[in-house]
Amino acid sequence: MNLWESFLVALDGIRANKLRSGLTTLGIVIGIAAVIAVVAIGQGGRALLLAEMEGLGTNMFAVHLDWRQDSLGELRTGREFTAQDLVAIRQVVPEISHLAPISARTAVVRGPRSQGAAQVVGTTGDYAEIRNLTVARGRFLAESDQAGGRRVAVLDGELAREIFGRQDPLGQRVTIHGVPVIVVGVLEEKKSLLDFLGMRYVYVPLRTWQYIFHEPAVIHQLEGATADREQVAEALQKTLAVLERRHDAPGRYIGSSLEQEMEIVGQATGIITLVVGAIAGISLFVGGVGVMNIMLVSVTERVREIGIRMVVGARRRDILVQFLIEAVVLCLLGGLVGVLIGVGGAMLIAKLANWPPLISWWTVLLAVVFSGAVGVFFGIYPANQAARLDPIEALRRE
Amino acid sequence: MIKAENLWKIYRSGTIEVQALRGVSLTVNTGEFVSVMGPSGSGKSTLLNILGCLDRPDAGTYLLNGRDVSGLNADALAAVRNRHLGFVFQNYNLLPRLDARRNVELPLVYAGVDSRSRRELALKALSRVGLADRADHLPTQLSGGQNQRVAIARALVNRPAVLLADEPTGNLDTRTSAEIMDIFRALNREGVTIVLVTHEREIAVYARRILHFRDGMLQRDEPVE
Repeated sequence: MNLWESFLVALDGIRANKLRSGLTTLGIVIGIAAVIAVVAIGQGGRALLLAEMEGLGTNMFAVHLDWRQDSLGELRTGREFTAQDLVAIRQVVPEISHLAPISARTAVVRGPRSQGAAQVVGTTGDYAEIRNLTVARGRFLAESDQAGGRRVAVLDGELAREIFGRQDPLGQRVTIHGVPVIVVGVLEEKKSLLDFLGMRYVYVPLRTWQYIFHEPAVIHQLEGATADREQVAEALQKTLAVLERRHDAPGRYIGSSLEQEMEIVGQATGIITLVVGAIAGISLFVGGVGVMNIMLVSVTERVREIGIRMVVGARRRDILVQFLIEAVVLCLLGGLVGVLIGVGGAMLIAKLANWPPLISWWTVLLAVVFSGAVGVFFGIYPANQAARLDPIEALRRE
Repeated sequence: MIKAENLWKIYRSGTIEVQALRGVSLTVNTGEFVSVMGPSGSGKSTLLNILGCLDRPDAGTYLLNGRDVSGLNADALAAVRNRHLGFVFQNYNLLPRLDARRNVELPLVYAGVDSRSRRELALKALSRVGLADRADHLPTQLSGGQNQRVAIARALVNRPAVLLADEPTGNLDTRTSAEIMDIFRALNREGVTIVLVTHEREIAVYARRILHFRDGMLQRDEPVE
């Protein structure tokens, strides 16, 4: 008997028990749907996250001190960044197009009527270029702000809205950590996934920052950008070399680039998706056990049919294949329905959560192939039970 | 056609040993119509299972069409049943979800015959037993006699060397039994070799020879006038 005949016979067996077949495949349906939906949402979230990060600028890098190697309390080590470092780096590393010192601390920003907590970033004008910040009103920090240590601030859009509402913040006075500054610019509000953390930012000239927090000459971190994405690694390496030489501290600075970070984020979200997908996959396993169970029932019910088929010339292999195909077809049907529900579910969730699902054809293909494999795995035992029947015994049974 | 020599079959369950066949030898020639008679436990069903390649003898040889089939494995026996043997049972043994034609086609499915030839051969076999107009009926829509005729058509469809019938009239009334036996007789006249197991003398006498079994042995070989 050829496979097509076996397939028709198997299909007939499934049709004979429509309700039971449907209920049996439910486990597979749910399993596949869950895997598809979870992976689609995970992949979508990951793509969104990476796109956001790319928006920050893939040609940027950051350098900070490796504090882990210092003993506790030893805060003045002579290895902190200095303004002279920046000058030296600019001279030695031509690939760098922008370089900014950064110090940051959280503080209360108080407006005329309301207040909010924000990350106060002390930096220079280059920072806007490095981070791709867009100014909605007014301007960003200028060189003269830094040089003069002016008491000016740039608010991000969200913070401006929280403090000033519909009022125009430009020219208004706010106090940061008790020190009054004038708002000279407001950034555009960003519709960002990363923004769910609710972090607000206010930017002031570095010298102003040092004044506000009584920390003269402290620079926490350097951030730079190159004109080209390909130059980031080299620029970062050279920068580290300059710092190590100037401070005679090999290996004490840590550099990171957004590309590296993206790689890590990509890996991390991939792993999360994998883990959640695997958990969803457990339901597939449970579904498979259900199929095996019902196939065993089916074999027991059809012992006579098996006997008759054997008497007229069915070989063991023919019987094995018939029941195996029945199990596989059951699982494949479940898999296909599961794919439809999974895709639909992912799209629905995406619509509700404003989160783009990413349904790749290989996920769908994998799901279908896997459900077929579940059918083979859980169908082989019942099918083998059927094939091992003795025709005389089988005919005798009622 | 059938040449069995010194067949032994012993069943063991625990310590109890049942000698179902004790050195049976018999020959059935091509074109013969032979009845096997005997009380229950006489070994006639065991003999039929062995002749039908559903079981293997513990000792002895069985030549079917000159080929020793007593030592074949399960799949080889399945092939022999498929190509050379046809079966008719007391309870018809039709598949309830298949109509008459598809039931008759079943042996051809396992013989690898394509669906068009199958349909043709099945309809031919059905018309041979007078059921050409019932081809699309399910077993539940047919009478007992009609179902048995479908079963006979199924047994004939692969042109077997031997047709084996196990109490084929056991579930039928007298009139229908006579109809079925007339079909067997007619088939035999057309050249089909038939071995029929029964415990009713009026059925056995349709054959031309009756083999009487008792206690696992062939007791008497009685020709029918």
